[in-house]
Amino acid sequence: MILNAEQLMMRETVAQFFAERAPISRLRALEHEPIDISYDVELWSDMVALGLTGITVPEVYDGLDFGWLGLGAIAQEAGRCLVASPLLSSVVMGQNVLLNCGSRAQIERYLPAMLSGDSTSTLALDEGRAFDPDSIVVAERAGTMSGRKIRVLDAPMCSLIFSVARRESGELGVALVSADSRGITASGRRLMDLHDSGSVVFEALQTETIEWLEGLDIRGGLQKTLDQATAVLAAEMMGTAREALERTVTFLGEREQFDVKLGTFQALQHRCAQMYCELELADSAVAAALVALDHDAQNTSSLVSSAKALANDCLTLISSESVQLHGGMGVTEEMDMGLFLKRSRVCNQLLGSSSYHRDRYARLNGF
Amino acid sequence: MSQDQLALFRTEVSAWLKTHCPASQRQPIVREEQIWGGRRRVFPSADAKQWFEACRDRGYTAPEWPVEYGGAGLTPEQAKILKQEMARLQCRPPLYCQGLWMLGPALLVYGSEAQKREHLSAICRGEIRWAQGYSEPSAGSDLANLKTKAEDCGDHFLVNGTKIWTTKADEADWIFCLVRTSDASPKQAGISFLLIDMASEGVSTSPIQLISGESEFCQTFFDNVQVPKANLVGELNGGWAVAKELLKHERKMMAAFDGMLEKPAMSLLELAHYAVGVDQDGRLGNSELRSDIAQHLMREQAISQLGERIYWQGKAKQSDPRLPLLMKHLGTTETQTKDELILRALGDEGLSMEDECVPEGLRKMVKQWAFNKALTIAGGTSEVQLNIIAKRALSMPTSEVKS
Repeated sequence: MILNAEQLMMRETVAQFFAERAPISRLRALEHEPIDISYDVELWSDMVALGLTGITVPEVYDGLDFGWLGLGAIAQEAGRCLVASPLLSSVVMGQNVLLNCGSRAQIERYLPAMLSGDSTSTLALDEGRAFDPDSIVVAERAGTMSGRKIRVLDAPMCSLIFSVARRESGELGVALVSADSRGITASGRRLMDLHDSGSVVFEALQTETIEWLEGLDIRGGLQKTLDQATAVLAAEMMGTAREALERTVTFLGEREQFDVKLGTFQALQHRCAQMYCELELADSAVAAALVALDHDAQNTSSLVSSAKALANDCLTLISSESVQLHGGMGVTEEMDMGLFLKRSRVCNQLLGSSSYHRDRYARLNGF
Repeated sequence: MSQDQLALFRTEVSAWLKTHCPASQRQPIVREEQIWGGRRRVFPSADAKQWFEACRDRGYTAPEWPVEYGGAGLTPEQAKILKQEMARLQCRPPLYCQGLWMLGPALLVYGSEAQKREHLSAICRGEIRWAQGYSEPSAGSDLANLKTKAEDCGDHFLVNGTKIWTTKADEADWIFCLVRTSDASPKQAGISFLLIDMASEGVSTSPIQLISGESEFCQTFFDNVQVPKANLVGELNGGWAVAKELLKHERKMMAAFDGMLEKPAMSLLELAHYAVGVDQDGRLGNSELRSDIAQHLMREQAISQLGERIYWQGKAKQSDPRLPLLMKHLGTTETQTKDELILRALGDEGLSMEDECVPEGLRKMVKQWAFNKALTIAGGTSEVQLNIIAKRALSMPTSEVKS
């Protein structure tokens, strides 16, 4: 459950990189960009140059094979700076749905461009108000595919879209389409946290433009992809939570009222201590889930659900408390704490709320 | 010791356990059948006596203590193997004693040769039962405020005062106490660690009735009790250091307690199924309870994952000293959450500890619910734990009030 020397070194490099190159001001700059620009392309190409596209990719496919625990550590550092990048959409979801659901030929055909940063991809899954991978309506019928996918991360920026849909046969499939195909409209939607959650509309998309992934176990491959993405998102959330708590504790150690530092008040100390307990508790669950992914453990899904539910609850608590403990400053745009709060609520809905994951955990454990 | 030698040791230990541990002592432990030592000890059964004596003669009541003091002189690796094999074969602990878990390890560090000889083997041999005398009515969280006084009378100390929460003091033979030997400041600097024979004139105990209907604890009174000077452990006014050493072992013991306590009649999930049944999809029949149980199980699991993290960090020499500070608060609070879920699921059956219409196993769980309210108080309250976390893990500024 702890990082090896290589992973530690990678984390240090990445932490320094994000601190220097991706301060929150850079995220804020996106606000002035057109709606279809969901991340800073220059920042992304530097991330590619650091090797971040290949962290979990096996060496046979020219990846670094640093494992999910390694990628989790990188996601944590990204979370500290609220970085907007295709790390989750393309590196985790796009690449892995290809690796988990594609045939060897398909992987060899599409993966190299993703690793080199020449192409990015995303996964179009959700259709309804809440995350629910078990009710997919979009389907291929009589030679065309129509329907709408929402919460498609970085949709207008990517070149390839992997869309979960029902095939003519009724079976679940993953359709690989080029984003510029006729019949596809990918739009951006900037959420309150300034990250993108776009949509993809298929309008009589011709079946000939679709390449279905040809792996042997689509359903299993999809579940694995979602588990991987959920665990990485949970790790990112831990970085966000850790940063928010650190900023808050620092603030309380500096701000004076009643002639003393606010941090000397026991009522506030206890709230911070409580948050710290929740942080390390959730962080342990996240580490366990990442390790389970690395070992392909049998109870991985259960551990992932546990990690996401605890991460949701933890970041919700820490971000709310951090705004409160910053006092009036907490609710101003002058401070970044509001962005942490908003990011928290967006992450809650992404890849499953706490209630979703508690229910899934119960189902996986026989109750 | 090489891996081969350890493997051989495992084979030998396993064979020895199979030969010497009677079948009745290889069952999950039941509280009434725990083997406690002491002058007035009564073995719960002939098998229990036989099992205890076999372990005693081999030093297995205190596997890591030196042989000359009644232990088996095992290395930590060997002791771990013994523990694993005992767990695998479901062997019950051969002896329960506060002397074994707490006093002994502290004596090994701070005791004089004479003290070690006098007390350690009596503990291993189950001849003396010990109680702990720390808290006082006016010294709970603020332990250093203790007032029980040991006055220097030349050849002996004269002890006056009272100790509270002395576990089973009415059945104990000796008690290890923190006593005030000086009014020096800070208060910690005037405290000494003293061993007192409870058969001494002037010692009396009075049981405390708890909300769980039990009386695990006593208040112990010292009225002009004469204690030989040889019973001082460590230096005069140096008792706080001994107490801290002992606290380390208390925490270790609490962490290892799991296998030593009686298991409840049903797991939380079994109980919930028994109480609310399942719906038409075969899922637990109350969705709110289901969700709350899931959350509790996740948190319980995360607490052990935090423990694993601490363990692996230690192994890799990357220990984060902040993490162990969180365990007590998180663990005890989660146990109470579980108890509340049990009570909620039980509904009407969870409302009496005495009603004989309710199965005994369930009533024990209700009693446990009440008893476990002490978990967030004993051994450092949750509030004190949070103080420590704020100060030591988060380095928050200290307030004017002295801690």
